[in-house]
Amino acid sequence: MSGKGLVDAERRRFNAFALAPSLIVLFMIAGLPAIYLVVTSLTPFQLVNPGSSTDFSSPLRNYRLLPDDPRFVNSLWVQAKLSFCGVLFQVLLGMLLALLLHTQSRVVEFARTFFLIPMVLPPIVVAIIWKLIYTPDISPLYYAAGLLNIAMPSLTSSVDFALTAIIIADTWEWLPFTFLMVLAALQTIPDEFSEAALVDGANRLQIFFYITLPFITPILVISGMFRLIDSVKAFPLVFLLTGGGPGSVTEVTNYYAYLLAFDFNEIGYSSSVTVVMLLLVVSVSLGVVWMGRRREAMA
Amino acid sequence: MTKKNSGHKSAAVSRRKLLQAGAATLGATLGATAFPMPVIAQAKPFAGVTLRGASFQHRFFTLLQNYIPEFEAQTGMKVDLQLSAFPVYNQQANLELSSGGSAFDFVNVTFILAARWVAAGLLANLDEFTGDPNLTPAEWKPKDFVEGAQVPYRDTKGATYGYSWEGGAMVMGLSRMDLMEKKGLKIPKTFAELQEVCAAINGTDGVTGLVSFQLHHWCLPPYIQGFGGNIFRNPPTDIMPALNSPEAIQAIEFYANLLKNYAPKGVLTYTEDQARQALLTGRSNIFIHSSAWITPILMSGDSKVKDTARVVRMPAGPVRDFPAANSQGLGIPKNAKNKKAAWEFIKWALSPEISMRLVKEHGHSSVCRRSVIESEEYRKLNTVNGQDLGALYLEVLGLPAKGENYMAYRTVKEFPIVGDVLNKAFEQVATRQLPAQAAMNAAQEQAIANMRRAGTAL
Repeated sequence: MSGKGLVDAERRRFNAFALAPSLIVLFMIAGLPAIYLVVTSLTPFQLVNPGSSTDFSSPLRNYRLLPDDPRFVNSLWVQAKLSFCGVLFQVLLGMLLALLLHTQSRVVEFARTFFLIPMVLPPIVVAIIWKLIYTPDISPLYYAAGLLNIAMPSLTSSVDFALTAIIIADTWEWLPFTFLMVLAALQTIPDEFSEAALVDGANRLQIFFYITLPFITPILVISGMFRLIDSVKAFPLVFLLTGGGPGSVTEVTNYYAYLLAFDFNEIGYSSSVTVVMLLLVVSVSLGVVWMGRRREAMA
Repeated sequence: MTKKNSGHKSAAVSRRKLLQAGAATLGATLGATAFPMPVIAQAKPFAGVTLRGASFQHRFFTLLQNYIPEFEAQTGMKVDLQLSAFPVYNQQANLELSSGGSAFDFVNVTFILAARWVAAGLLANLDEFTGDPNLTPAEWKPKDFVEGAQVPYRDTKGATYGYSWEGGAMVMGLSRMDLMEKKGLKIPKTFAELQEVCAAINGTDGVTGLVSFQLHHWCLPPYIQGFGGNIFRNPPTDIMPALNSPEAIQAIEFYANLLKNYAPKGVLTYTEDQARQALLTGRSNIFIHSSAWITPILMSGDSKVKDTARVVRMPAGPVRDFPAANSQGLGIPKNAKNKKAAWEFIKWALSPEISMRLVKEHGHSSVCRRSVIESEEYRKLNTVNGQDLGALYLEVLGLPAKGENYMAYRTVKEFPIVGDVLNKAFEQVATRQLPAQAAMNAAQEQAIANMRRAGTAL
C-alpha cells in the first residue's frame, strides 16, 4: 500500500472512531425507538391485553387492515391537502415578504425581528392564540367583522373552512422560516447583476424573473421540502382548534394515530399507521437529498 | 471542615424536621379539634412506608393535598401522589396495570376504564379489606357510598374494586329565568318543551337558547336513551352497537337541530370551559351537563346570573328519563406492594370526615358519601335560591342503580371506540355533511369494523 493510501486508511479509521460515540447515541435515541415502533406494528398490541405485545402470529395483519380503514385513507388525504396548501402559502408568502423586506433600514430590521415571533412561540401557544381568534363570541376578528356588518361563519366548526383555518394558522406559524431562508438567499445575490440589467433597460419584473428567481429557486425548493416534511407535525393546531372535526374534515394522520393509541388503546395498529407515515416522510426526505445531489451534479 | 459542614447540614435538617413536625402536629391538633378524624392506624404499623399513588388532575386531589400532611403525621407514612393530565394518566395507568407493574399502591379507577380494568382482573378486591374488622372499622360504612356511583366499580359477582371519590350527575342549568318569566315560559320538563323554550329565548337580549360542548358522547346518549335507543344493544352483556336504530337517528336529528338553531356559533368546537363561561355570563340560557359544571351559576363568585339562575333535572325524553351519571373511584392495583397501607389511605381520603371537610372548607360538593350529602350542614351550604342542590345531585346520581343500569354503556371497554364514531357521525349531521340516517348507518358499520379490528367478537 502506498503512503497516501495508508494515510487515507488511517484518516478513515480516525473518522470512524471519532464519529462512533455520536452514532451510538443517535442510534439509541432515534434508532431503537424506531425499531421498537416497527416491531410493535407487527403485533395486535393493546394495553389491556397482556401478552398481545409479543403476539407475532399474524405480523402483517395491521398493514392489511390499513387500506380498508376509511379514516386512515381519509387522514392521508387531509394530510396531503394540509401539507400542500400550507407549504405553498408559506413559500409564496415567505418569498413575497423577503422581497419586500430585503432592504437596509432600521424599521425593516425591526419588522424582520417582529416577523420571527410566531416561529419561536411554543406550538401549543400558537394553537391557543388561534383558538381565541377563531372563537366567535370572544374573537377580535369576529368583533371587527360585526362592526363592518360582515356575517362570518364559525371557521373551525364549518366543513368548508375548518381545514383552511388550520392552514392559515400553520402558515402564520411557519412563514418566518421560509422568509428567513429566502432573505438569506437574497442577500447572497451580487448587486452587480441587477445594476447591469437596469443599465440594459430591464424593468423590476424582468429582474425578478431572470435574475432573482433563478438565484433563490434552490432555496425555495429546499425550504419547501423542509416544511413539507415538518408539516406532518401540525398536531397541536388540529388537537386544539378542531379535534379532527367537524366529522373527519381535519383529521390528519398523526392525529388519527394519537386517537388510536391514547383513546382506543390500539397500540399495535396505531404503530402501523405511524410506520406508514414515517415511510412517507422518509420518501420525501430522500427526494430532497436526491434533488440536492442532482443539482450539485448539474452545477 | 468536612465534619463541620456535615454537622451544620445535620443541624439544618433537624431544625427543618422539627419545624415540619411542629406544623404537622399543630395542624393535626387544630384539625382534630374542629373536625373529628377517622380512626386509623393508632399503632402506626405503616410508619416509614412511602405510599405511591396516581390519578389525573382534579380539584378533589388538589384539595386533598392540603390534608395529606395530617395523614402522614398520623400514620408515619409518606404519600407520593402523582397527578397528570387526564389522557396521560389513563395511558400510564393502562400500561402500568396491564403489565402487572407495582409502581403504584393506589390509583384512580377512571370511570370509562373501570369495567375494562375490573373485568381484566387488574385491581385488588376491596371486599377483602372492608370485610375484615381489623382493617376497616364499622363506622367507615362501605354502604354509605351512593349506590349509583358504586355500580361501575363492581364485577358481575358484586365484588367491589373501587370506592368513588367524585360523582357527576347530569343536570340542567338555566341562567336567565328572568327572560323566561317575562315570556311566560316554564322550566322545560320534556324534550319537546326544551325545544320550545330554546326557540323562544334564542336571540332575546343577545342570549342563545342553549350551549353545549364538543364531548358529544357524553351529552348525546341521554337524548338517544330518552327516545328509547341506546349505544349498544344491551350492555354490558350484548355490546353490538345500536347506532342506526330509529330512536338513535331521531335523537341525533333532535340534538343536532338544537345546536344548529339555538346554540352559539362554533359550539361544535366549544370546550367545557367555553360552554360554562357562556352560562355563567348569561350569554346562553341552558346548559345540560354534570352538576359540578352547572351549579357554579348559583354559587360561584364569577357568576353574573346568581339571581336569575335555576338548576333542575334535565328534561325527560318521550320514552325514558335517563340523565347521565358518572363517578371516579380509588382502587388498589392487583400487584401493589403496600396494599394494606394503600387501603389506609383510601379509607382516610374517602372517610365521612374528610368528605365533610371538603364540603365545608372548600365548597366541593361532588362527594359520594350519602350521609354527608344528606346532612344538615351539606343541605345548608348547597341550598341556593330555595333549591336543594344536594337532593337533586343525589337523586340523579342514584338513578342508574334503580332498576336498569342505563349507564352501563359507558363502562364497557368498547365504549371509547364507539363513542368516537358517534362523535364523528354527530358532527357530520350537525354540519349537514350527511343526513342523520346515512351518518348513523355509516357509523354503525364503522363501529362494528373498529371493534372487530380491536379484537372484540361480535
